[in-house]
Amino acid sequence: MTALVTLEHVRFTYSGASRPALDGVSLTIAPGEVLAVAGATGAGASTLLLVATGYAPRVVGGTLTGVRAITARRCGVVFSRPWTQLTGLCSTVREEVAFGAASYGLPPGEVADAAARAMAALGIARLADRDPARLSGGELQRVVVAATLAMGPDMLALDDPAAELDPEAADALYAVLPDIAGAGTGVLLATPDLDRAARVATRVVRLEHGRVVADGTPPRGLEETTVAVIARAAGCPAPYPTDVAALRARVAR
Amino acid sequence: MIGYVEGRSPLHRAHPYTTLALAGAILFGAFALTRPAEVWLLVLAGAALAATGGLLRASVRTALVLSLPVWTLLFVVHGLLGGAPLVAVGPVSLSAPGVARALVLGGRVTAIVLGFLTALATIEPHRLVEAMTARGVPFGRIFLLTSTLTVLPRMRERAGHILEAQQCRGLRLGGSPVARLRALGPLAFPLILGALAEVDEQVLALDARGAGTGARRTALNPPADSTAQRALRWLLLALIVAAYAWKFWRMRG
Amino acid sequence: MSGCAVRVDGVRFAYGAAEALRGVSLAIDAGEQVALVGPNGAGKTTLTRLLVALRRPASGRVTVGDWDVATRRPDEMARRVGYAFQHADQQLFARSVREDVAFGPRRLGRSTAGVEAVLEELGLAAVAGLHPYDVPPPARKLVALAGILAMEPGVLVLDEPTAGLDGAQRDRVVAAVRRRAAAGVTVIAVSHDLAFVAEAGDRVVAMREGRIVQDRPARELMYDREALTTLGLKPPATVEVSDALGLRGRPVRAEEVVEAMRGIRWRRETSE
Repeated sequence: MTALVTLEHVRFTYSGASRPALDGVSLTIAPGEVLAVAGATGAGASTLLLVATGYAPRVVGGTLTGVRAITARRCGVVFSRPWTQLTGLCSTVREEVAFGAASYGLPPGEVADAAARAMAALGIARLADRDPARLSGGELQRVVVAATLAMGPDMLALDDPAAELDPEAADALYAVLPDIAGAGTGVLLATPDLDRAARVATRVVRLEHGRVVADGTPPRGLEETTVAVIARAAGCPAPYPTDVAALRARVAR
Repeated sequence: MIGYVEGRSPLHRAHPYTTLALAGAILFGAFALTRPAEVWLLVLAGAALAATGGLLRASVRTALVLSLPVWTLLFVVHGLLGGAPLVAVGPVSLSAPGVARALVLGGRVTAIVLGFLTALATIEPHRLVEAMTARGVPFGRIFLLTSTLTVLPRMRERAGHILEAQQCRGLRLGGSPVARLRALGPLAFPLILGALAEVDEQVLALDARGAGTGARRTALNPPADSTAQRALRWLLLALIVAAYAWKFWRMRG
Repeated sequence: MSGCAVRVDGVRFAYGAAEALRGVSLAIDAGEQVALVGPNGAGKTTLTRLLVALRRPASGRVTVGDWDVATRRPDEMARRVGYAFQHADQQLFARSVREDVAFGPRRLGRSTAGVEAVLEELGLAAVAGLHPYDVPPPARKLVALAGILAMEPGVLVLDEPTAGLDGAQRDRVVAAVRRRAAAGVTVIAVSHDLAFVAEAGDRVVAMREGRIVQDRPARELMYDREALTTLGLKPPATVEVSDALGLRGRPVRAEEVVEAMRGIRWRRETSE
């Protein structure tokens, strides 16, 4: 199984910055996994996403050293603010979702099919004729994910996608990620919301000051979820449970 | 009234290139014509265009507001301070050639403004994108044009938010000229900085939607064109060429 | 400045034809910590805008302390109410973080002596000299909040204060709110984040479609699953833990849950 992205000792510094945002990161991302990147703000999670998907330095500038091999044919990125990701050029959700897919010169029929499939996968077929500018944040973010999926990416990166969403919409968005990974796409998720990440992650990487300090399968890497924090404080031995069911299973009755 | 206004007028339904051609004809025609009567015929043409778009009253009002400073300046500079022969109008003596000049220059501005207000109001950005895509225009160029069309309403909305936020920090609106000047910083800087930051995000988001691929985009729903409209556009071009030819011929003779 | 009471009486407000508030009445005593929850479009943010005179109700009355808001401008209300907007970028403009935080107090003619302390409190001391836009977006939210805290308002209104923040930043916001509450400041927080509400709120007012539908102590509402479901909410993780382990005393904050778990014995993890 070929990795989608391989990073070896990658250092990345934004233009004009005095310190590197990524300082010697080595990492591989495989198809079908949901890799959660955890770390404090400024630890480099967002930058890692941009570097892994090829948007840095190409679009954002900066210097990259080390080895980066991207074998993924296409990479999609979803950011946290729904409204700035709208093209502003489409009057219906259907058009918005089809917009990215139309960038490759495929025949209109194929583009329309890809858009329909993506809308179905995100459960937004009922919004197809609505004006994107009038949707709620949660609906809009799902439109953005669908629009990115319609482009057929091998890898989908999401940078704190539920930051602006209410709890129901956030849960719905995270719930879709395992399905996307199940279809073979590699999902890369940077988020401070460890409680939700814990529900979907198949692997967790922790960053600190641009360096990888942990890389393993859950529950490793999820020591800062609410449940894990409580468990540790209440005397539970490592590894700490990350959800309520696991917590209950560890209590001796 | 600056920006797109929904409607079903013939201009709204026309191919975007036709509307642009009409506004462009007014623009170029304005500089080819040199006599007050001719220029004011063009102003009438601009008004007729606005009427065709169903926007006569709104555009005339906006055009007058926008061109008022120019008119005032022109009358002072040319009308009052122009050369001989002088004509007495009540207590004031106006320069006849000066007034003629003011009428020409002012008329040009008014005609052009009318033409472009109408074009802005009747060309839906989305349809323009589709029209340009169908003609094979690279997306980068398309975005440059359409983003200038959509920037104003967004800026206006953002300016409103900033106003509220700064008032909540104790910034008082109104007051002495000095106070107003000092209020400019806290109002203008977030607008500009925020707009720039937003542009950064949008460029990234659009690139993520394949805007930078360079491949020829699929036009999903190109606006209908007709032989009549194409003929009209060629006719307008011919008229402009003829107008300039006439202008240079007059200048020689 | 010590806290003010806030009273809202029979307030109605509409955006054009759409009614946003349909006769809302609410009494908040000085020093109370109230969370406003509810789905998007319920009218929570609209209600808070009325408190600072950014919107005028079509009918009804709003008072903050002894001030009738109808007679005041937003910049006057800023003397009593500190409003932290959800999107920080709307207000950042100065040359440095420190300058920006000092803007509010200066406008109000108050001392800027507390600015350094607020920067320290929110973990911004290290970036105090940087331009606000050189600071990452979540931290900018803290800069904006610092600017409001530095004004030392008697009433603190927070709109989604924890959206987009990481764990450490959320802890700082919780601590800052608790510190103000302990000092008697009235706190009103619009928040989807029930974990934050659990840590920093006493009373929860739930709104739906322009009306108040629940008004209860946080501890009570957090344990009422039915009520939460009708609001489209789920209990915070702390309450889920407490429910699962059958803990006594209805603990809602993390430290309370840990305390109630004293005496629990643990199994070692069995490898699968």
